Amino acid sequence: MWRYVIRRLLQAIPTVAGVVLITFVLFNVVGGSPAAMVLGQNAGARSLEEFDEARGYNKPLFCGNWTGTRALEEVDFEEAPPSVRAKWGAGVTGPLRLEDGESLTYPLAFPLSEGETWRLTVTGQGEGFPDRGDRLPAFSMVWKKSFHGVGNPAFTAVGGPVEIDSVRLERGTRHFFDSQLAHYIGRVMRLDFGTSSSLNQPVWNLLKAGIGPSLMLTVPILVIELVVSLTLALLCAYRRGSWLDRSLVAVCVGLMSVNYLVWIVIGQYVFAYKLGWFPVWGFESWRNLLLPVLIGVVTGLGVNVRFYRTILLEEMHKDYVRTAFAKGLGEGRVLFKHVLKNALGPVITQVALALPFLYTGSVLLESFFGIPGLGYLSLNAIHSSDVDVVRAVVLVGALLFTGVNVLADVALAWVDPRVKLS
Amino acid sequence: MSAELTPPSTEPPQASVSFGREAWRRLWRSPVSRACLAVLAVFVLVALWGEAANAWYSWKDVTPPWQAQNLDARYLAPGAGHWLGTDGLGRDVGLRLAQGARIAFQVGVVSSLIAIPLGVLLGCLGGYFGGWVDDLVVWISNTFASIPGLLFVLAIAMVVGKGLLGVFLAIGLTTWVGVCRLIRAEVLKQKGRGYVRAARALGFSHRRILFHHILPNVIHVAVVSFTLRFPAAIGTEVFLSFLGIGAQGEPSWGAMISSARLRLWQGVWWELAAVTVSIFAVVLAFNLLGDALRDALDPRLHIAQD
Repeated sequence: MWRYVIRRLLQAIPTVAGVVLITFVLFNVVGGSPAAMVLGQNAGARSLEEFDEARGYNKPLFCGNWTGTRALEEVDFEEAPPSVRAKWGAGVTGPLRLEDGESLTYPLAFPLSEGETWRLTVTGQGEGFPDRGDRLPAFSMVWKKSFHGVGNPAFTAVGGPVEIDSVRLERGTRHFFDSQLAHYIGRVMRLDFGTSSSLNQPVWNLLKAGIGPSLMLTVPILVIELVVSLTLALLCAYRRGSWLDRSLVAVCVGLMSVNYLVWIVIGQYVFAYKLGWFPVWGFESWRNLLLPVLIGVVTGLGVNVRFYRTILLEEMHKDYVRTAFAKGLGEGRVLFKHVLKNALGPVITQVALALPFLYTGSVLLESFFGIPGLGYLSLNAIHSSDVDVVRAVVLVGALLFTGVNVLADVALAWVDPRVKLS
Repeated sequence: MSAELTPPSTEPPQASVSFGREAWRRLWRSPVSRACLAVLAVFVLVALWGEAANAWYSWKDVTPPWQAQNLDARYLAPGAGHWLGTDGLGRDVGLRLAQGARIAFQVGVVSSLIAIPLGVLLGCLGGYFGGWVDDLVVWISNTFASIPGLLFVLAIAMVVGKGLLGVFLAIGLTTWVGVCRLIRAEVLKQKGRGYVRAARALGFSHRRILFHHILPNVIHVAVVSFTLRFPAAIGTEVFLSFLGIGAQGEPSWGAMISSARLRLWQGVWWELAAVTVSIFAVVLAFNLLGDALRDALDPRLHIAQD
């Protein structure tokens, strides 16, 4: 048994790595730094850089010795818009022109910090291009200069005019693998989920505060759902083909087809507002949870009853059921004692699949009924581009899912020892 | 629709009637399926009309009638002028409903066009080649499957940005896993069959065996999952648009529910009712058709019935 548990745990490692990688690709590679979205259009380059620094966004994505900086956005004079050209003192079109002896003045958004290594790269051509060696002046030439902190190096045209095509300033990384990926993996390892940019609190605290209300909502939903839908499914299987079975299945398909939103909107309007049976909004007493739990159960009922019914019916075609009937056992005994026990495997899997949903809560139920759980938290985070919170919720959800899957498999192996062999 | 319902079958199980035609015959025999097909035909026609009308008005550069505000005609109950009434800005609910059908249709089709080819391709490759290819496919699908669905959708939509593109990608990239798993399992089953061994013995290339021989025999799985994905995609779109992440400034069903919800408290019920009934009809038709299709296409069930 223990060997099986360990093997199953080892199998989960690639999945965990994959989840970390996907969240990284989604939020860092595709999403990029949310600094501008969070801080607004009018934020200065320096505060943007500080935001990036705190969250590791100012590093190269995967690896590299140099990375861009907001102190001086990379500029290509062929494509630069007029506002950028004006900052550099360039003409209306074409490359930036320096006369003999003239130095390049770069419009730094903020002074460069001293402790870092910087590299300035200028490409262009012309007779006065410094350090051009033996190359012909007609070709585009590259001038690179590394330096430390304050004293910005001067790029001066010597002995003729220079036409500059592009200027790029980069900051040196500490080492080749000092990247966003390494930063992210390190933080995940330390279970450091960063700071919420909209609420200015550690994400970890927000998760801890939100999980309680979420569980209060979702655990009752799961338990009631399981009991009710298994009972109904057994009823259907017991009386399969009867009008009861058929009408229940029809009702289930109907329930499945009503949109989730509609359940909530109508439920809240009719039962809480019109009839006044439940409180409309808030999270003060257990009575606030009644209606959301009810709606949660009803919305999942259709799918679950049909699923369990299919499992039970599939089980009923098996040989041992025929044997049980043949030796004269009653239908009820066969159903509840033999079939239900044997159908436990898929039921466990189904419940395990629903468990991570417990943690994230129900986004819609929580926001409609004002329950301060993780669903509500992540929805607000999405609206305010609070990437750290969204990423943490997604990541923790996925890790929990993987863990729960391992637990479910172990439980399955415990219920049905044959599983271990495959 | 009929093109999708009759997968080209190179290996007919019965000598006389092709598998696809037989399945279609079974499907058409049931009045419920016929009713579903009729509902879906209406839905598709309305959506196509909505698409054409939208294209026409944007080409003419005129404000389309479903966006034209008329503050004198706010909150009109259903009547002769506006069959389904008007909303809080005096816009005709019926026309907006038709445009909502267009968006729902778009989302269903485009997200399926992302999810199904991706799932079918990876499932086929993994199931057929086995070994490290299969390990890779299983790893990717396990990873995607272990991220909580709705949050993943929200996160993708957030990263890609507000708008329908985010909705397409979010739904497409989260739903291919189910298709992939079903197809992979089916391909694994087919791989050991005699016709595959025969094709291999004849020296056919892997590509030919996989895509000309095995694929037609497993594609019914993709067809069934299409009919189940479609309503799910509509539901997700409604959810995203309701939250303001989906369609921007367009009369999507989710956005209509979002605005109708607040007016319900003032007794304006028709907007919500119209959207609710439309979604219900379309999703119910898809669900019932999906069941019927599965029964018609699954050879295992035929044996059980006979």
